[in-house]
Amino acid sequence: MDKLIRQNWWKALGVGIMVYVFTVGMLVPLKPGITTVAPGAARTGTDVTLDITGYNTHFLEAEDSVRFWLKLDNERALSARAVQVLGNNAVKVTFAFPEYLPVGEKVQPFSILMDNAVDGAIIRPDAVYVTQDSINPALGEAAWDNAPIADLHTHVGMTFPFRNILGETIRNTYYHVSLWLAMMLIFIAAMVYSVRYLRTFDSRNDHWAAALTTVGVLLGWLGMVTGAIWAKFTWGAFWSWDIKQFTTLIALLIYMAYFVLRRAFPDEAQQARVSAVYNVFAFVALIPLIYVLPRLTDSLHPGNGGNPAFGSDDLDNTMRMVFYPAVIGWTLIGGWIASLLYRTARVEESQWDGYETGSQNKSTN
Amino acid sequence: MRMLRQTWDLLWRDWVLEWRTRYALSGIVLYVLATVVLVYTALVDIRPQVWNAMFWVIVLFAAVSAIVKSFVQESQARQLYYYSLVHPLALLAAKMIYNSVLLFVLSLLSWLLLALLTGNPVKDTGLFVLAVFLGSMGLAIAFTFVSAISAKAQNSATLMAVLGFPVIIPILLVLVKVGANALRLMQDTAIMGDILILVAINLVLLSVALLLYPFLWRD
Repeated sequence: MDKLIRQNWWKALGVGIMVYVFTVGMLVPLKPGITTVAPGAARTGTDVTLDITGYNTHFLEAEDSVRFWLKLDNERALSARAVQVLGNNAVKVTFAFPEYLPVGEKVQPFSILMDNAVDGAIIRPDAVYVTQDSINPALGEAAWDNAPIADLHTHVGMTFPFRNILGETIRNTYYHVSLWLAMMLIFIAAMVYSVRYLRTFDSRNDHWAAALTTVGVLLGWLGMVTGAIWAKFTWGAFWSWDIKQFTTLIALLIYMAYFVLRRAFPDEAQQARVSAVYNVFAFVALIPLIYVLPRLTDSLHPGNGGNPAFGSDDLDNTMRMVFYPAVIGWTLIGGWIASLLYRTARVEESQWDGYETGSQNKSTN
Repeated sequence: MRMLRQTWDLLWRDWVLEWRTRYALSGIVLYVLATVVLVYTALVDIRPQVWNAMFWVIVLFAAVSAIVKSFVQESQARQLYYYSLVHPLALLAAKMIYNSVLLFVLSLLSWLLLALLTGNPVKDTGLFVLAVFLGSMGLAIAFTFVSAISAKAQNSATLMAVLGFPVIIPILLVLVKVGANALRLMQDTAIMGDILILVAINLVLLSVALLLYPFLWRD
């Protein structure tokens, strides 16, 4: 360890990874998507003109190839009667609904599917709810003018997934979520050093534990702040006493008590021993707080209460290429800060030792 | 066997000390009366939601006032004397068992007093007793260990609050939820999951405390 903290390659690697994460994470555009469809409801037997707003779409550039469908299921779809392109992100689309639908439901949701040569195919599920006055699937089958969805284009180029409401804030995955994982790694390291201190009573282990805990708390606050900024844009408020926010605050308070505890002891050996004991205790108390309790109650946080998590579906391969390096990058940067704090503490300690032996020498002389 | 015997002796000694002063018992009666009078004058009508919150606040402060002194009250010299006589784990175990039982009795007592003064809104008595039992155990374990840590420092009462409150928040969150279920304020079919979490938190805190205490007591 003492050799490693004097080497520079891993610090350079950490900085390099973070430069990569910030450049790619901020500059790669989002995949084109559909943000609003109005009106969201229609009746059978009428012509309806929908105002559709796109995000990052290129309707004007690809005007000749813009096609729209209302999709009922995998086999059946209605194609648009008329498409009037107003701008790159705005389009008016007219659909004619038959008198009867070939389904037994009173209200039937349709998905909107858009395809053009530049943006590729985009789908917005359950965009329009169509109400039929009376139900007759047989008549509906007869009147259905099926337009099979075919010859779709694919979008070329590197993009991040588009999710409605989340929009650009999906990039926060690289900062908020990865900060959080790096914090957990650093807290685990701090706990390991505390255990090692209790086995060896070597003050270097105590300095490591204190340095790593400081960095862990710093990353925790950064994770909380990035989460709060994200929440302002998606939940509407910086702080809404969501169980995730609440338990996180408590977890940080537990760790801040560690520093209060350290200041309470004048004797260094006692300080190191008691704070090592508390650090292990705090880590154990952290686990139910962060991983068990939030699962018990409803939360707005992604991954809870039916909200999409950035799991297999949402964390696609382009996001993984930024997300995993971000975790490593934050951990390396955190380790670098911790090693600086550790070295400062060591220097301070040796200065005190020198001062004490020096004064002793003086008195004996 | 020797450790069990030592634990039992220490338990008996703690009980005799409490019975002579009746510090915790009279304290809890005062807490309940003061809280009920205050909340009653402020709200007049004490609804079950308020009752649930009030009950756990009383239990929390009873725990603080009863347990804070478990390690702090004794002088360094006397602690050294104990350690020369008994195994340190016997000392910790005796304090934890004594505090758990004391807090359980105090909680039942405050439940009785609250029921006399404001009526008893508890619908599922078995569940509520279970919650009170597990809750007093968890609070006692956490606060006893925190009190052992803070007894090593100078201004230990403040330190105990700083260290203790964040640690017991998870237990309190689950307790309030189970309490709301026992009062039929909410219906949760998976309430046994919460009880299991309470048991798990208690066991984890207990085992960590027992593992770490041998490092803590020596000066």
